[in-house]
Amino acid sequence: MNISKKIVLLGHFGVGKSSLIRRFVEDTFTDNYKVTIGVHILKKEVVISPKETVSLIIWDLEGNDDITNTRASYMLGTSGMIYVFDLTRPATYEQLESDLNFIKTNYPNIPIKVVGNKKDLVTKDFIKQNSDVFGSFTDFYTSAKANTKVNDLFSTLAKQLIS
Amino acid sequence: MLAKHKLAHEKAIIQYLIVDKKSIILESDDAFFSNVTKQSITSLHPFFESITTLLDLEENQEYLFSCIHLETDNRNIIADITLKTFSKEHALLIIQDLTTHYDNYQLTAQKRNESVIDSQILELKNKYLIEKEEFKNTFIANFSHEIREPLSGIITFVDILGKTNLDSEQKDYLNIINTSSNHLKHMIEDILDISKIEVGKLNLIEDSFNLSEFLEEFVFTYKIKAEEKGLTFLNTIGEKLPPQIIGDPYRLKQILGNLIDNAIKYTTKGSITLNVSLNQVRANKASIHFQIIDTGIGIEKENLDKVFTSFTQVDTTQRNKGTGLGLAIVKNLVSLMDGNISIDSEFNEGTSFALNLSFKLDTKTKDKKVEVATVEKLGKDKYHILLVENSEITQLSVLKILAAQGKFYLDIVTNPDTLIETIQNQKPDIILMDINLPNTTGDQLAIEIRQLPEKELKKIPILALTGKVFPEDLKRYKKAKINDVISKPFDEKSLLKTIHKYLK
Repeated sequence: MNISKKIVLLGHFGVGKSSLIRRFVEDTFTDNYKVTIGVHILKKEVVISPKETVSLIIWDLEGNDDITNTRASYMLGTSGMIYVFDLTRPATYEQLESDLNFIKTNYPNIPIKVVGNKKDLVTKDFIKQNSDVFGSFTDFYTSAKANTKVNDLFSTLAKQLIS
Repeated sequence: MLAKHKLAHEKAIIQYLIVDKKSIILESDDAFFSNVTKQSITSLHPFFESITTLLDLEENQEYLFSCIHLETDNRNIIADITLKTFSKEHALLIIQDLTTHYDNYQLTAQKRNESVIDSQILELKNKYLIEKEEFKNTFIANFSHEIREPLSGIITFVDILGKTNLDSEQKDYLNIINTSSNHLKHMIEDILDISKIEVGKLNLIEDSFNLSEFLEEFVFTYKIKAEEKGLTFLNTIGEKLPPQIIGDPYRLKQILGNLIDNAIKYTTKGSITLNVSLNQVRANKASIHFQIIDTGIGIEKENLDKVFTSFTQVDTTQRNKGTGLGLAIVKNLVSLMDGNISIDSEFNEGTSFALNLSFKLDTKTKDKKVEVATVEKLGKDKYHILLVENSEITQLSVLKILAAQGKFYLDIVTNPDTLIETIQNQKPDIILMDINLPNTTGDQLAIEIRQLPEKELKKIPILALTGKVFPEDLKRYKKAKINDVISKPFDEKSLLKTIHKYLK
């Protein structure tokens, strides 16, 4: 069985949403930052079991420091979300709790994974020290550059979407 | 003709498609996606796959998806896509190619985002540097405090041990301990000073002092030092120098002391000369010229500009050890005093430092002399000193120094909870107060003492005995009405001198 599911990636600009998708879909990475405007859409099949495959249609939304400004049309028909913040820039996770509340209020029952990206640039101690800031919300600490937990992130969400 | 050119250059920017509920394209004008009729719309791009559920809606609705990147094998466009659904008709898709418009926007967004990210990173770097600086300063302050405590014990007991019967071998060993501990003391002071200078926390005091007395005492000390090394100490003190000036005598002593210590260190034969003269008096300020000349090893021309740099020692032979901070501190102190310093040197012949410093003239105080009471001149037979201290080394150091004078009773309080009661029972003449105490601080206790109802008790002189002597510490002590500070490590002379100042 093969089914399609649309997922969107949200978060501030420069947090690495496009890099995570590129790593997941193409297994590539570049250090050169290229801003995303509007939305890029990519597709990748995730094998859940020998008989079950999910086609993830991944919407890479342009970064926005105010989540309430996200265009509503982009969210139509979304089955899952990934909220990404940059572990090296506090400005990208200072509003984490209120951003998540906004998402849960406006898109109830849609599974969401919260991701602290650029893990390769911070220490384990840093993550421990900031556990009260983002620790309780975060599902994955990833690095698109070092390819840490990227596949885990997408396949965990894919499994959740069909369960 | 024109129609032909138009046809060649005209670029379609809108494509219309009619799509049924099963996502099949029924009609297309093939403006840029060509030959697509009868295909599933989902085969054009994943975008269309994610809107197929909307095609099922049997109602009049309009959805606008702006700035969608449609990358296909044939072309890459950025488009606004409108989906119109109808209650009784098939859905209409309108794809408007706005690539040029969005490309321009992309450039602007790129610049804006990069600039915001750069400024956030810069802010973080600054924050990190400030935190690092604060950590360094706290580390230095705590570290130096921890070293001062045992060092104080070493210096005191070397003094005391020196007064006992020792054979010549033991005296030699004691001299080595004495030299080493004094060297360590100077190094700690230098490191503390340079760290204070770096963060702009070194403040000069303004005190009126007698310049000729200051120089007399200074020359006396350094003449002995020079002669101990077999050097001649020469000095010329100008006759026109003002008698009483306002400035920071402690820092002036540090500047001249560092320069002359250096001169003695790097000179093995010949002389050390100190010349002091008046440049001019203008607007109630005296500009004074100081010159220190030695006949030492000298400095090569190419190294002259390095001598005022921190942690730099031009002589790397290890014969003359040091932190390499002395001249950097001198240079910074001279700058803080709005003065200037220059160096001239001939390799293997000697070095000369010249500096000009300005001081306010004190015309109100005539030949001020601070009269420090000597033990013999004191009014009482014995004085009662109360020491609030939990370090056994310091307790023993103070006890030994005071006991040798034969003029003091010493009581020691180690538990701050019993302090007030002890003061009320014993009515001491002076309280020597450590600052780092269990569960409280010396300045906090001083505040409590100053609030006592008994007039004679709340005015007892309190002298802080501490290694914490940063400007912010001194301000705190002043606020707590602590009369004076004896800095750890202290020696017999500095302890007694400060105590005598407050004895009646």
